[in-house]
This record gives sequence, structure tokens and C-alpha cells, in this order.
Amino acid sequence: MSHGLKFDGVAVAGIGMIRFGMFKDIPGAHLARDAGLLALHDAGMTLADVDEAFVGYIQPATMIGIKAMKELGLTGLPVTHIENASATGLVAFREAAWAVSSGRADVAMALCFDKFTDMTRGGGGRGGGRDQIDAPILPAAYFALWAQRRMHERGTTPENFATIAAKNWNFGAKCPTAHRQSDHVVTPEEVLAARMVAEPLTTMMCCPPDDGAACIIVAREDLVRQRQPGRPLVRALASALMSETYSPGHTFVGPVVGPSSMTRHTALECYEAASLGPENVSVAYCHDAFVNEELEYYELLGFCAEGEAEKLVVEGETGPGGRIPFNTDGGLLARGHPGGPTGVAMLHEAVLQLRGEARGRQVEGARVALAHLVGGGSIATVNLLGLERSGT
Amino acid sequence: MARVPIEEGFFRIPDDPTEQPRLLGSRCPACGEAFFPRRLVCAKCLHEGTDDIELSTRGRIWTWTSCHVPLFGKKDADVTGYGLAQVDLPEGPRVQSILSGDPDDFAIGAEVEIDLETLRQDSDGNDVVIYRFRPVGGAA
Repeated sequence: MSHGLKFDGVAVAGIGMIRFGMFKDIPGAHLARDAGLLALHDAGMTLADVDEAFVGYIQPATMIGIKAMKELGLTGLPVTHIENASATGLVAFREAAWAVSSGRADVAMALCFDKFTDMTRGGGGRGGGRDQIDAPILPAAYFALWAQRRMHERGTTPENFATIAAKNWNFGAKCPTAHRQSDHVVTPEEVLAARMVAEPLTTMMCCPPDDGAACIIVAREDLVRQRQPGRPLVRALASALMSETYSPGHTFVGPVVGPSSMTRHTALECYEAASLGPENVSVAYCHDAFVNEELEYYELLGFCAEGEAEKLVVEGETGPGGRIPFNTDGGLLARGHPGGPTGVAMLHEAVLQLRGEARGRQVEGARVALAHLVGGGSIATVNLLGLERSGT
Repeated sequence: MARVPIEEGFFRIPDDPTEQPRLLGSRCPACGEAFFPRRLVCAKCLHEGTDDIELSTRGRIWTWTSCHVPLFGKKDADVTGYGLAQVDLPEGPRVQSILSGDPDDFAIGAEVEIDLETLRQDSDGNDVVIYRFRPVGGAA
């Protein structure tokens, strides 16, 4: 059975997000409200136009999504909570797009928010509790294990990882909604010289803790054209979502995100559903919470052959002006990774790129964008957006 | 002083402190696949019902890292960092674990053996312990 969904006649009506950062004194519901209102304004709609909503967050709390939705109005619309760890935002989008594609909704919203500053130390989930077997395994350490194995098998160097990190820091400085905005050009040397967390990953190779909210509204294409005539039309093309499949050497205990082949299988399912391949993708977004992941995903998402990701880095093919720019908003590393909103922020940037509105970091002629996330537990999701071709 | 596990059901603590702890696993009677931790349904062939086994005390490092942050629960101790590894056991399971000993002895493929790390004392004065691996023949 295929795990891919092809969306039929679904377009992006509106996007909105607040710049990620630390907002200790602002309630999460207000962050969500502000992102939701931005998306409604962008769509030329009010909540009365929205038939269904999917709210996502990963902080350990119940009911806060439905409560946040009330900040936007009380219209009786169905609201469903979505939680899929780091991949929550993309999965909320997937459900919204499917609600429209299936015909049960004309307009659907994915609204995600999270507050790292609300998560009590040690209570933020698996790996944080004192009385759990996997308490000593930090996410950074888990991905450092991937990095060490990669270095062993392929001769990858810490400089390769630092080059990707510098690229994402420098993209982040050009994106107004990025959390980390360096006031100078970041070099691989600076990344390598930062404090070591888990070898070979330094603090500048790891995403920051942050708060944030982001919203995307999808709708029937004809409605989007009607509300926003003259704007380039961005379609939701396809989505795939998979959990783990068993293979020997599978690890069960720890903040597991794997095996990495999960991303490869999920990408293949998404490409197949969209009748597209990696050669059609203009710009890509991936789970670069720890930068060595990005290098692995170049291969797993099909942008180069196995063992050639290092070459892609050295030749700058995933940076500005490259063959396949990755994480043009700075990625999880610089734009930030609050949790639930992360995937929607990816789509926010992808839509700006496809509309040609990503000032200072625009990928010229971008037509198809790919958004990938993995979520602890674990799952992987790959999603494709595309600009309407002229004459269609 | 008694030793108690950080979480029940993952490893057996021997009464004799000179004896090694044992990880608790399962083996599928239908396809023979072994797992850590214990589970009811075979993850490979979906057979319902597995046999309890105790896993080997030695394995080999599949991958490792050295963490430059204090080990959880030891923030006030003079611990500047600790190792982590994925260890392949002869029965098949790959286990994520603290890696102790001299980082110079950490290497992919190196043989390691299991022992216990004391994380803290609980309110009854028991030592709260977790399993860890260390290079065989390495410095203590």
C-alpha cells in the first residue's frame, strides 16, 4: 500500500507566522492568534470562511489548541489536535490539504504553536525525565551518533558539517522571521570553534530552543483565485507520511528518530504520488535540527547518489545560487525549531519562494518546493508544493 | 545499600555486586529474532508471544560520541562529560547506552562489556543505577 497522498485542486490561500524567539511573557494562545490572523489576512478571509482546522503543538498539555482557536473566533468549525513530535506542523498541513482534496472542506487551516519557555525542565518529553531509561541520551547526542558513523563510513569531516551550518546561519540572517540573525557572515571556522556539545556537533550545529507560531490556510483552487486574483498560485501537490519499518539493528530505547532509510522510503512515496522526482524540485527544506542530518538527507531525498553528499557541500550546490538550495530561511538551525510550528514555518518560506517574494534569498525560477521532517518516536513526512505552470 | 534501577523492566541487577548486570530481552519463537527491550509481539514477523531472554554482557560499538555536558543527575559532580554508544549484541539487538572509560579507547568495532553506573541516591538511600558499557580491558 502506498503511503503517499496526491492532492487534487488544493492551493495555498494564506500563510502567516511570527518570528521565532523567546517570548516568556506572551501566552501561547496569543502567539497562535497572531499567526492565525496573519494567515487569514494573507488569504483575504476571516474565520467564517474556514470549514475545518487542525491545531498542532508538542508541549505536554491538553486542550490548549482548541482554546487557542477561540482567540480567532467561535464559529463552530471542527477542530482536531495533531501531535507528531517535530513533524507536527507538516502533518497538520497534510490533514488540512486532505480535508480540502477529499471534498469535505472548501477551506482548511493548520495552526501550530509551541512555547519552549513553558516546558518545565525535565518534563518536556522523552529523554528529559529523571526516571526514564533514556534520560542520558540527549537529542544532540543521538544525532552525533549518526555523524560519527557517517564519518567512519564515508570520511565526512567536521568541516563538511560546519559548512552546512554556516550556510544556514547566513540564510537565517536574510530571513526576517528567523530566530537567529547573525550580524556578521558566519564561517565554518566560527562554527567549529563554538562550544562542543556531542562530538562532532558544536552549539552552532544544533538548533536553538524557542517559542513560536505559524499558520497555513489551504483551499479549493477556484476560491484562492477569487480571493487573491493576480497572485501566483501555489498548489499543495502531494504528501507522504510513514512510521518505522523493522530491520536488523533497529534501536528501540532512546529519543529514536530512525532508521534514516525512513526518509528515503517516504520521499519515494511522495514523488510517486506527485508524479515528480528530485530533478523537478527547485528548493528544499529538511529536518536540520542537527546539521549532520541535512547532509544525510541530500542523499535520502534523492538529490545526489549515496556517498556524494559531501561533494554537494564542497561545491556549494545547496547554498545561494546552487543546484538545489536547502533551508533558505535558515532551517531549524537558524530560523528555529519550537516544535509544532516548525513544519508550518517551512511551508511559509516555501510559499514565499514559489510566489517570488523571498527578498534577499530568492531562488530564481523556483517552481517546486519540498518540505521534509522527521519526528521522534518516530515518523517521517515529505511534502511537495508547486507553482501553477503558465497555461494550466 | 541496595541498588535500584532507574526504570523497571530493562535490566536485572545481580545480588552479588561482582556479577555483571544483564539486559532483559525477548526472542521470537517463530522467526528467532531477538529484541531489547522486552516486547510481546515480534517486530519482524508479528508473531504474538515471545520468550524472555537475558542478553550477552559483551558487544561491539556500532557508533559512539563523547558528550561535553554533565550526565543527567550529576550536574554538581566533577563530571565534565560522558560517552554514548550504540552497541551491537551477539543476539542481534543494537542498544543505546552510556559509554564509560577513557575516550581514547572508544572506537567503532571495539569490544565493550556491561556494568552499572550510579546516577544518584533516592530518598530511601538506595543507589539509583543504569546500565552502561565500557571498553574491554580499558582503563577503569
